[in-house]
Amino acid sequence: MALKQSRASALVKAGIGPDAGLNPVVASPMIDIRHVQKRFAIRGGGQTVVLENISLSIAANQFVSIVGRSGCGKTTLLNIIAGLDAASSGEVLIAGQRVVGPGQGQGMVFQQHSLFPWLTALENVAFGARSLPLGKAEKISRARTLLELVGLEGSAGKYPREMSGGMQQRVAIARALALDPDILLMDEPFGALDELTRIEMQQELLRIWEARRKTVVFITHSIGEALTLSDRVILLAPHPGRIAHDITIELPRPRSRTDRHFNAIYEQVWRGLAS
Amino acid sequence: MRQQLVQAFIALLMIAVILLGVELGVREEYLKAYEFPPASRIVQGFIELTTVGFPTGVTIWSHIFVTVIRILKGYIAAMAIAIPLGMLIGAVPVLDKMTVPLIVFFRSVATLSLLPLVIVWFGAGELTKVILIAYGCFWVMLSNVIAGVKYVDPALIRAARAFKVNGWTLYREVILPAALPRMFAGARVALGVGFMVIVGAEMIGTIQGLGALIMEARSFYRSEITVIGMLVIGILGYLITSGLAALERLLLPWGGGSSEAA
Amino acid sequence: MGSGSRAGDILWGLAGIIITLAGWELATRLGAIDPTIFPGPITAILTAAHQLPASVFLDNMAWSLFRVTGGFLLGAAAGTIIGFAAGWYRGFGYFARPLIELLRPIPPLAWIPLAIIWFGLGEPSKFFIVFLGAFFPVVTSAYHGITHVDPSLIRASRSFGLKGLGMLFHVGIPASAPDLATGLRIGWGLSFGVLIAAELIAADRGLGFMIMNERNAGGSVSVIIAGILLIGFLNLVTDAALASVLGRWIGRWHGA
Repeated sequence: MALKQSRASALVKAGIGPDAGLNPVVASPMIDIRHVQKRFAIRGGGQTVVLENISLSIAANQFVSIVGRSGCGKTTLLNIIAGLDAASSGEVLIAGQRVVGPGQGQGMVFQQHSLFPWLTALENVAFGARSLPLGKAEKISRARTLLELVGLEGSAGKYPREMSGGMQQRVAIARALALDPDILLMDEPFGALDELTRIEMQQELLRIWEARRKTVVFITHSIGEALTLSDRVILLAPHPGRIAHDITIELPRPRSRTDRHFNAIYEQVWRGLAS
Repeated sequence: MRQQLVQAFIALLMIAVILLGVELGVREEYLKAYEFPPASRIVQGFIELTTVGFPTGVTIWSHIFVTVIRILKGYIAAMAIAIPLGMLIGAVPVLDKMTVPLIVFFRSVATLSLLPLVIVWFGAGELTKVILIAYGCFWVMLSNVIAGVKYVDPALIRAARAFKVNGWTLYREVILPAALPRMFAGARVALGVGFMVIVGAEMIGTIQGLGALIMEARSFYRSEITVIGMLVIGILGYLITSGLAALERLLLPWGGGSSEAA
Repeated sequence: MGSGSRAGDILWGLAGIIITLAGWELATRLGAIDPTIFPGPITAILTAAHQLPASVFLDNMAWSLFRVTGGFLLGAAAGTIIGFAAGWYRGFGYFARPLIELLRPIPPLAWIPLAIIWFGLGEPSKFFIVFLGAFFPVVTSAYHGITHVDPSLIRASRSFGLKGLGMLFHVGIPASAPDLATGLRIGWGLSFGVLIAAELIAADRGLGFMIMNERNAGGSVSVIIAGILLIGFLNLVTDAALASVLGRWIGRWHGA
């Protein structure tokens, strides 16, 4: 038993504390979050600190999950990386450039698919490419290719309300990829799906990721999901949001939930979250 | 709340600006006093309306009273028939299916277009106006009562049946209360319709009532009285709608939102 | 919750219509209703056709339709633009909304005397009244639509680099389409009713004028009834046409 425990531990490199993000050291990170703090004004005066001194380096093509309870600031952090929100202090760099807004290589997928209901699947995906300097025909063909990638070539002409939840999210992923982003930011994208579809989509996402390698920052409150998908799991503790643990996972993919190594890590993360 | 106060303030500000603009425009002769009665004239007109009256002997209060009474008569007559009839039709699917096209058609007939016909039958007196109002209110109310009864949430009915509530009791204790919000919405819209109808109906062949007032005033070139009349009509309309809304909140404290009405 | 098919419903509906019409006709034939003042439907239409040539009906109808359509287009256009602008641009909304709310309680027909004062007795005053009839429902629905755009759609479009006018045109307006469509239908119905009334009160052409004139000239009740039926029928047909056009526009993706 002891042998197997140490084997499991060897597969997990855990970093603990505020410097966690700097271990492993990354030479030129794709995403570099430096001492980000986010405050919000609250009614009646005063402020609440949602994110406290977040520092994190993410290498290119790494799949990173951010896990935490509701209210720990995961979505806020994602919005800051996406450029949809500004940090109160500190900065985020993408490929060395300061983030000042969207359109710096960030593609986003949301929990509510946020597909435009008045556009077909094809048009929605093509919309993703709208800020690119391509001709209309090129955008459409790119959209078609992406729909094929996510397995929906036959549904190009369907409207969102004619598709299931899983299909809608696949279109949303294709739409985010249409921008040819360097980074894919995903905010609990499978949260609104039923369990079975969810598991299916996780495998789909991994397949797509193997086909089109991107840096992925994935938010979820499901530990199982984070462990199935990621190279690295960041645990965020709430009030104020700060990095509690940074765990690198070196299990080969595809990962099985019944695998005992998987379960060992699961327990470790779970204990980390509970503390 | 704060936003509403700001809006109210801006509204008053704009009224003041418009009044000032009109006043100056008329003084400087950019605007014709006939087309844009200035505030000074409006005030005079108002005093006249409340004392001597226009036409002489009929004060603004008289006009308001006459109009309101007409609306009430027609409205109550319409409600008295529409509510029971609507409940009956809503409860009996066959009746509903038979009457749907009829109701849709009769509702589409512009109420005021019946005016010449009704005058031929009943003359140009009070009865005609009351009948027209009743007609307009009736079809709107009927549609809404039927819809209210018909579209009671089936989950509620199922729940009641599970407790062995059936027949007449089911109707009285479940369906009726569930239908009330929609019926109230219908009552509100119906009153609004009645109001619109009377304003139009009074513009023909009568000298009493708000519609008549503003029309008469025009033919005597007393445009300021027309404007006052319009404002009074507007205020009256506003009071009616908010009054009914308040009544509804009082009688239906459980909400159920009645922003739906046909 | 129904028993019976769609076809069954239609048959019941037809039955209702036939019973009513037959009942009406019979009542006049049997003398329960005096046919000189309330002719049955068949008699009415035949007599009307006899009294006035079809061209008179058509001519008046054309004038009425011209006025409704013109006034409606103006009112709907103004309502749409102002409604969207007031909802999208806070500052503009602060000024536009109170003004609109102030004027709204005044029924369009109450504007008739003032319209005559401003525009005289010709076409412009009719257009103005119809304009008012269409304007208020449309401005309300446009405003409601644009202020209730799903925020997740806004966020998504921002993440794709959309902002300002681009967002208004590519997201705000399409998302408001269903609300706007409802407002347009209501506005059309109101415009129609308001026009007929306005023609009754102060016009020298058009269907409303035609039936009022017939009464004033002591003419035939049949013409009046035929006119009223025609107005009701027109209202139904145009509303159905509008509903179908709007349905085609938003039906497939909205499904409501």
